[in-house]
Amino acid sequence: MAASKRARDRHVMDSVYPVIELLFLLIACSELCDAATVVDVYRLIQYDISGVPFGSRLAGLNHHAASMHFPPSSDLSRTVLIIPLRELNISFVKEYISQRQPLGGLLFLLPQMFNYENKGGGGGVDSNHLEHGSEELRNVLNELEQLLIHSNIPYPVYFTFEDGDTEAVLADIKRNDATGQPATATTGGYKLVVSVSEPKKIVSPTITNIQGWLPGLKTDGDNQLPTIAIVASYDTFGASPGLSVGSDSNGSGAVALLEIARLFSILYSNPNTRGRYNLLFGLTSGGPYNYNGTQKWLRSVDQRLRESIDYAICLNSVGSWDNELWIHVSKPPENAYIKQIFEGFSNVAEELGVKVGLKHKKINISNPRVAWEHEQFSKLRVTAATISELSAAPELLERTGGIVDSRNFVNETSVIKSVKLIAESLARHIYGFQEKNIQIFADNSSLAVNSFYVKSWLELLSRTPRVAPFLPKNDPFILALKKELEDHTHEVNMQHEVFDGMFTFYDSSKAKLNIYQVASVTFDLLLLLVLGSYLIVLFSILVISTRGLDDLISLFRRPPSRKVKTA
Amino acid sequence: MTLFHFFNCAILTFGPHAVYYSATPLSEYDTLGTSIKSAIVYLVTALVKLVCLATFLKVSETDHFDPYQEALKALIGFVDVAGLYFALTQLTHRNISQNHKFQAVGLGWAFADSVLHRLAPLWVGARGLEFTWDFILQGLEANANLVFSISLAALGSLMWLRKNKPKTLIPIIYVCAVIVATMPSITSYLKRGLGWHFPEVVGFQLSISLVMALISCQLFSACQRPSY
Repeated sequence: MAASKRARDRHVMDSVYPVIELLFLLIACSELCDAATVVDVYRLIQYDISGVPFGSRLAGLNHHAASMHFPPSSDLSRTVLIIPLRELNISFVKEYISQRQPLGGLLFLLPQMFNYENKGGGGGVDSNHLEHGSEELRNVLNELEQLLIHSNIPYPVYFTFEDGDTEAVLADIKRNDATGQPATATTGGYKLVVSVSEPKKIVSPTITNIQGWLPGLKTDGDNQLPTIAIVASYDTFGASPGLSVGSDSNGSGAVALLEIARLFSILYSNPNTRGRYNLLFGLTSGGPYNYNGTQKWLRSVDQRLRESIDYAICLNSVGSWDNELWIHVSKPPENAYIKQIFEGFSNVAEELGVKVGLKHKKINISNPRVAWEHEQFSKLRVTAATISELSAAPELLERTGGIVDSRNFVNETSVIKSVKLIAESLARHIYGFQEKNIQIFADNSSLAVNSFYVKSWLELLSRTPRVAPFLPKNDPFILALKKELEDHTHEVNMQHEVFDGMFTFYDSSKAKLNIYQVASVTFDLLLLLVLGSYLIVLFSILVISTRGLDDLISLFRRPPSRKVKTA
Repeated sequence: MTLFHFFNCAILTFGPHAVYYSATPLSEYDTLGTSIKSAIVYLVTALVKLVCLATFLKVSETDHFDPYQEALKALIGFVDVAGLYFALTQLTHRNISQNHKFQAVGLGWAFADSVLHRLAPLWVGARGLEFTWDFILQGLEANANLVFSISLAALGSLMWLRKNKPKTLIPIIYVCAVIVATMPSITSYLKRGLGWHFPEVVGFQLSISLVMALISCQLFSACQRPSY
C-alpha cells in the first residue's frame, strides 16, 4: 500500500517537473520577448583618425523619447530626440553638436527611399519615380552625414527608416510633447532601449584587392606586351557602416569595370580578335582612405608588370551624369600620353553625343591626401587618369558612398553610357582604330553592353554595405566579385592587406531598438494607493460583516494593550 | 519601476486572499491546514483536467468559437466540481464548523488557481518595461475568481453537507452551482464567440461574481435558519 502510494507520488512529481521547467523557461524568456516594437537601427560610425575620436562614442541606449517639439528649457540629458529627416533643422543639430549640449541620444528617421532593403520603393526604377522634394532631402542628408562624420558626439546616434511603427510612436510622442510635458520617468511615454555592449576596436581589419588578367596575343617579335590597367575601388565609407552602400561612389565604377571585363573577355577569347595589349583589371579596397588599398596593391605587383603598364584608367562615380564626364589627370595636358588618352575619349564621346572634359590637378608628394585613385599610380610614375562625373576632387571622406548615395539616385543608363565610352575608346586604342569610325561595341550586336548585367550588378552593389573594416576577408560579397572576375579573366587573385594607417574603427554598427510604452512612477504610486485602500476597505467590510464593528475597533486598540502586557 | 508595477499587480492578484483569510474568523480558528489541503486537491484536479483536455480536445489553430469543443471543455470543467466535492466531503478536516470549512476550501482553491494561472504570466509580463493594462485586469479577474470559488464552495457545501435544507431552495442551489461552474466556458464564449475585449469580460465577471456571491450568501443564510 505504502509502496504504491510512493510510486504514485513519484508519478505526480515526474509530471510536475516539466511544469517547473516550463516556468524557468518562461522566466528566462521574459527579458527577450516583451517589447512592443522592435526596429532595426544603424549606429553612426565610430572611428579615430590618428587617435582623435570622431562619430558616435556610445552604443547603449536606455532613455525616454522626445520629438523636436520638446518644450524649451527642458533638460534633454536623459532624452533621446527622434528627428525625422523630413523635419530636420540642420542648424539646430549643428548648434547642438558644436556646443556639446548634453543629450541622451539621437535617432534619425530616414525616408524609405534611402533604404536599400526596401524592395517596393523603386529598386529598379530610376529617378522619375522618386517623390517630390527628394533632391532637397538628399542635400539635407548629405549635409547631415558630413556633419556627423566629422564631429565627436559623446552620445549614441542611430539611424532607422520611417515605417508604420516608428511613425505611430513619433506621432504619440509629438502629441505628448505638444501638451507641454516632456516625457521623463514621472510622466511615462516611450522608452527607447538598445542593449549592446560597449563598442570595441576592430582589431587588424583587412582590405582585399582583387585583380584579374587578360593576356594579349604575343607574336614572336614581342618581348613584353604593354598593359592597360582598369581599376575601380569598390568599398565605401559613410555615416553608418550598415547603410553605406555607395551605389554611385563607387558601385557604378565597379559595375562598369565588371562589364568592361566581360566585353573584353569575349574579344580576347578568340585569337583573331585578341589585342596586342594585356588588360589588367583591379578592384581595389580602401578607396575612401586615400586609396590605401590601391597603394598597397601597386607596391605588391611585380615591378616588371608595373613598368609595362601603358596607362591606367580609374573609374570613379560614373552612375549619375547626364552629359559631361571628366577625365582627371595629374600630368599636364600637354603630355603626349595624356593627349592621346583624351583625344581617344573625346572622339568616342562626340560620336555618343556626350562631352568629355579634362581636369589637371598636380599632386603634392608630401601631402598624404590622395584625392583620386590615379594619383596613386602617378606617384609611382605610371600614367593614369580617373574617369568621373565629379568635376572637382572630393575632400577626405566626402563622396565615398554614404547613406545618401542610394540606388534611387543612380541611373543605369549613365553607367551603360560610361561603359560604352570607356570600352570603345580602349578598344580603338588597342586595335589601332583611332581615326576610323567603327563601332566595336555597337548596340544590338553580340558585343553590345548588356544592360541587364549592369542592372543586376548595380542592384547587388546597392544592397551590400561595403565599409572595408566591417567586411571580413571571406565575405560572400568579396567572393562573389572574385567569382565574377574569374568568369571573365584569368589569373584572378585576391590580395589581403592589413588595413593600417591612421584610421581605427569600432564595431556594433547594427542593433535592435526596443520601443516600450512605459507607465510613469506617479501612475504606479497612485495605483498602489488605490489598491491599498481597496484592500483596507475589503478588510473592514469583511471584519464588520463576519465579526461585527466592535471587533474592527478592538483590532486597532490591540497594539497598545499588548505593549502594556509586555511591559 | 517595473518591479513596482509587478508588486502592484501581485497585490491586486493575491492580496484579497490574504485579506479574506485574516479578516474573517478563518484566521482565528486556524484553518490554514484546510486551505492548504484544498489547494493541493486543486493542483491534482488541474493536472487531471489538463490530461483530459489534452486527450479529448483538438488543438484549434483558429481563434474562433467552436460550440462542440466548448461544450466538451465545459464538461471537462466539471472535473473542478468533482475536485471540490472531494475537498469538501472526503478530506478529514480538523474540527471546524461547516460555515468555516467551505470558506477555507474556497479560499485555498482560489489561491491555488491564482498561483497556477497568474503568477507566471505576471512574473514574465509585468516586470517588462512595456506597460499594458492586462495585468491589472488579470488581478481583477483573480478577485472575481475568488468570489466565484467561495460561492461555489458555499453552494457545494449546501448541496453535499447539509442534509436538512428547505426543499424549495434545492433547484435554485443547483442552478446557481451550474452557473458558477460553467463560468469559465461563459467567459470563453464571450471572448471568442462574441469578440468581447478583455476589460469588458473582466467587468462582466466582476458583476456576475458579486451577484452570485449575494445569491449564495442569501441561500446559505436561508438554509442556516431552522425553518423546518
